[in-house]
Amino acid sequence: MKEHRAAPQALEPIETASRDEIAALQLERLRRTLAHVHRNVPHYRAKFDAAGMHPDDLRSLEDLSRFPFTTKDDLRQTYPFGLFAVPMEDVVRIHASSGTTGKPTVVGYTARDIDTWADIMARSIRAAGGSRHDIIHITHGYGLFTGGLGVHYGAERVGCTVVPISTGQTERQVQLIQDFKPTMIVGTPSYVMNIADEFERQGLNPAASSLRRAICGAEPWTEQMRAELETRLGVDALDLYGLSEVIGPGVACECIESKDGPTVWEDHFLPEIIDPETGRILPDGEMGELVLTSLTKEAMPIVRFRTRDLTRLLPPTARAFRRVAKVTGRTDDMLIIRGVNLFPSQVEELILKQPRLSPHYVLEVNRDGHLDTLTILVELKADCALCSATDREHAAHALRHHVKSYIGVNTEVRIMDVGSLERSVGKARRVVDHRPL
Amino acid sequence: MQNKAPLDKDLDPIEKASRDEIAALQVSRLRWSLTHAYNNVAHYRRKFDEAGVHPDEFRSLEDLARFPFTTKQDLRDTYPFGMFAVPRQQVVRVHASSGTTGKPTVVGYTKADIEMWADLMARSIRASGGRPGDKVHVAYGYGLFTGGLGAHYGAERLGCTVIPFGGGQTERQVQLMRDFQPDIIMVTPSYLLNIADEFVRQGHDPKESSMRIGILGAEPWTNNMRQEIEARFGIDAIDIYGLSEVIGPGVANECIESKDGPTVWEDHFYPEIIDPATGQALPDGSHGELVFTSLTKEALPVIRYRTRDLTRLLPPTSRSFRRMDKITGRSDDMLIIRGVNVFPTQIEELILKLPSLSPHYVLEVTREGHLDELAVLVELKPDVAAASKAARQEMGHSLQHHIKSYIGISTEVKVVDVGTIERSIGKARRVIDKRPKD
Repeated sequence: MKEHRAAPQALEPIETASRDEIAALQLERLRRTLAHVHRNVPHYRAKFDAAGMHPDDLRSLEDLSRFPFTTKDDLRQTYPFGLFAVPMEDVVRIHASSGTTGKPTVVGYTARDIDTWADIMARSIRAAGGSRHDIIHITHGYGLFTGGLGVHYGAERVGCTVVPISTGQTERQVQLIQDFKPTMIVGTPSYVMNIADEFERQGLNPAASSLRRAICGAEPWTEQMRAELETRLGVDALDLYGLSEVIGPGVACECIESKDGPTVWEDHFLPEIIDPETGRILPDGEMGELVLTSLTKEAMPIVRFRTRDLTRLLPPTARAFRRVAKVTGRTDDMLIIRGVNLFPSQVEELILKQPRLSPHYVLEVNRDGHLDTLTILVELKADCALCSATDREHAAHALRHHVKSYIGVNTEVRIMDVGSLERSVGKARRVVDHRPL
Repeated sequence: MQNKAPLDKDLDPIEKASRDEIAALQVSRLRWSLTHAYNNVAHYRRKFDEAGVHPDEFRSLEDLARFPFTTKQDLRDTYPFGMFAVPRQQVVRVHASSGTTGKPTVVGYTKADIEMWADLMARSIRASGGRPGDKVHVAYGYGLFTGGLGAHYGAERLGCTVIPFGGGQTERQVQLMRDFQPDIIMVTPSYLLNIADEFVRQGHDPKESSMRIGILGAEPWTNNMRQEIEARFGIDAIDIYGLSEVIGPGVANECIESKDGPTVWEDHFYPEIIDPATGQALPDGSHGELVFTSLTKEALPVIRYRTRDLTRLLPPTSRSFRRMDKITGRSDDMLIIRGVNVFPTQIEELILKLPSLSPHYVLEVTREGHLDELAVLVELKPDVAAASKAARQEMGHSLQHHIKSYIGISTEVKVVDVGTIERSIGKARRVIDKRPKD
């Protein structure tokens, strides 16, 4: 059995503060955030006005529930930079979700936001048992996706030796783990599992590797998966939560000493749980949709952002902050395929750009080993019903290429005969999920 | 055209210093660097001892020629961290070249190294005409390759808005360039031409893009290519030079006001030109192989590193530092395919891992539009000469997969009959370069 490090020695004072201190800090920061967006973002001002609310109406944390929600749709309507609350020259970084020819979700950061993000990602890595002694192998994708660069800046802040390998080239990942002897790995849980498979394929025992801790996130995972990862790789596996609209990875992270769900860094993000149907606030402990409000962000503050993730808020344990339980599902139809967020409507938009393809389609999600695969079944248009095999192949190829190029996931595309896909009565069933639960 | 060059007040003082000041700084930094390498890297100490030189014998710039060269082989021999001159805990970043199951080239950085690199990349972007507040679209690959993160940290240091796109997804690159309106793009020149084609394919004129400046590197390019890029996009196309063994991008960069070859940031890297055959130092202006010594690097100091790039050193113009001419070739067999460095031996190693393939192979490089393509022609082993078409396809497929996975480039693999690849008398001809020469 490998030796594991326990809780970090030095915590920030706020991590062990009293709930009163935390609430006081939250209230002050929340007031500032609401005033900031009201003054600097016309879209927020219009929404506050329409709801009859003014930042001065916030006197206690409970008053927040009277302010309107923000959704992905608000980001789309103000694409690309309309929700930015600072002049463009103060924005030092832009990230964007996948997206199609339509509108990706765009987020921006000031120098201070990047600093805050690095700080809370560093705090997350420390909570997961990391320190400046670690060599950290980061397999999250680097680029417009917040995963890679987010973790990278945090690891740098901790003082780790950062190996920015990014995603893919799995054989090589194993080679470099063998050669560089990293003590931590960061990735989606499914990709880390894939790396364990590749160890075995190369005749190596993953449990004998140098890895001691795995920080996994960017897709929901289960306790069974944790147990399997821990046994196979001989690591402590910790859950990291975040989303780009809120800041990126590092909104919440599990503490190694308790492993009881990600601790929300409540000094920077205020969590609420709501009933996704009515929008009503639910008490801590009840299952509902997670809503997050940023408390310190400058470039793109976010007020009551509906994450669409279903979970519960749990009382503090290893820190003074509350925790979230494992995410059990979504209130929308978003799929997460190998860490990439994908909406059926994005695929639909790309289908409709192909002259031979109809809007009758189904997305089939399967699990191949530990990795999710996506198959698109799409019907020909009625007037192309008799087109040649070559034409079909051509259409499939073009769609596959577009999905890869705009959304960034590999898919299999099957062109179906007219009428072969089941027609819906009412809401179309776009996703058939064959993954084991 | 006016006002493209940075104002004098925005330059680092050393960029306008006298040659004497620069030489004095170089001497003191070289002495530090030689001593640092000798004291902290066993490999350097042994090489210096074998050559009968000691850092104390370094008194003037001319003395450097007595110190031994460093080559890629030294990095391989000490793989992975044997050339690091600081304790591992002070190494905050590791980058690595492609490489195979053998040994990639590994480089390390201390916190101060990362700072210096960001400063020099910021200086490079400024020399290219970039300013704080500019939006910079970084289309170099992010990850172990130094291109993406090197450019990223520099743009951040200068105070730009960084759009960390990375490579690939060309349609989307064009969409976001139209939506985000970047002022600057950092990318390989061949990929930028590909992006121009994609603009046209989507029905847009690349000239109408928001871009002002392209900072282009990671592969050699010509002045003809510069003219084509500038004409198609209506931008200034500026040459950036660097290699990971020395630090990454930002070793040298062209100045927008002169566009006369990359200015070497001589306060951090000392350039020499040598005769690649004899190793003799050549006077400025002579063609030869470029050699660099780092002056301030802590984690991985490089002493007289042989870049294998053929060029010449030119006198200072826009800055007080010397410039390098465009790269005219290599003194080894390295290929650069879409910005990725590839050695035939890397491919050979992967071929030999497949039981049915022989060591008779040829690499064919062609240009498809603006992008280079690599085809691998490899013979079957005689004992499987009768392999079916399906079996061959399978072998080709697995070689292709291994090359993609270990080296990171897409290739076409053709498995050919025994005896069809020309046998060499003496040195095998491994590369057939069919790219147009201009």
